[in-house]
Amino acid sequence: MDIKEKLKKVIIEDLNLEDLTPEDIDDDAPLFGEGLELDSLDAVELVVLIQRHFGVEIENMEEGKPALQSINTLVAYIESRGQK
Amino acid sequence: MHLWHCYRLILTFGQVLIDRAVVGILGTDYLKVRLDDREALLKLRNENEGLLLMTAHVGNWQATMAALDFLDSPVHLLMVREAGDIDRLYHEHGEGECPYRIIDPSGYLGGTLEMMGALKKGEIVCVMGDRLLGSDRSGVSVDFLGGEVSLPFSAYKIASATGAPIVIFFTCKEGGDRYRLELARVIRVPQLVGRKAELFTPYAAEFAAALEDFCQRNPYQYFNFFDMWLNTNDE
Repeated sequence: MDIKEKLKKVIIEDLNLEDLTPEDIDDDAPLFGEGLELDSLDAVELVVLIQRHFGVEIENMEEGKPALQSINTLVAYIESRGQK
Repeated sequence: MHLWHCYRLILTFGQVLIDRAVVGILGTDYLKVRLDDREALLKLRNENEGLLLMTAHVGNWQATMAALDFLDSPVHLLMVREAGDIDRLYHEHGEGECPYRIIDPSGYLGGTLEMMGALKKGEIVCVMGDRLLGSDRSGVSVDFLGGEVSLPFSAYKIASATGAPIVIFFTCKEGGDRYRLELARVIRVPQLVGRKAELFTPYAAEFAAALEDFCQRNPYQYFNFFDMWLNTNDE
């Protein structure tokens, strides 16, 4: 399973988005607000699940803001931090 | 009798506002703040998980925060400044610089990433546990003084994610220039998975119980002059 597929799967599972399938999630759609419609509390959960499932820590807002834009930016961040 | 209670409450509030201004103008040394749990706080700080200090709209938390300087760590304050807000922070009465780094809950992702970043560095984040600053989704219902109120749970979620202990503290005017800063309790939230608000209800209830205990002991020091728990879903 590649990173993108795994990421979508854990987002659906850990954020209880049971109505969605990985195919429903647009790789470039915003994660927050429109798009996936996550909110600030989900951001906390997202930071935790990325650490738990990929061993990658989002240290601060400077790193987090660009990384948490979409599935593609998040995958790029995880890859840049060495997770394959 | 009701008028007498109102008088006592407003009188104390006025005294607290004056103390706040005096501290801003003359300096934090003006007040004598007693803190009995210094060692316990140092021990918590030394865990290096950051500290989430949680208080409520009681006493004079602004002016007494200087008593926590011994923790020797940057303090971040989650606070919204509304347009037209005439209430001044204590340092704004004088020429002093803001002793806190303000995190704006209306900023990017409600300031959650900033809060987590500060805690990961072992720093202090101060929040109000009795007032919702975000959407209704960030509140859970708990019992408080015989009624049901909606309290924010984002701090418990962040504590769960970072491992930071939550220190509930309240400040109380004892008379004259004397204040007491009391460490009411420490809440440790285990790592919890999922986005259900109800997961955090027990911790919000623990905060409510601590605040209830404070209010019963200090009935004229809870300065809440509007219904900040109004459930808009009931309107």
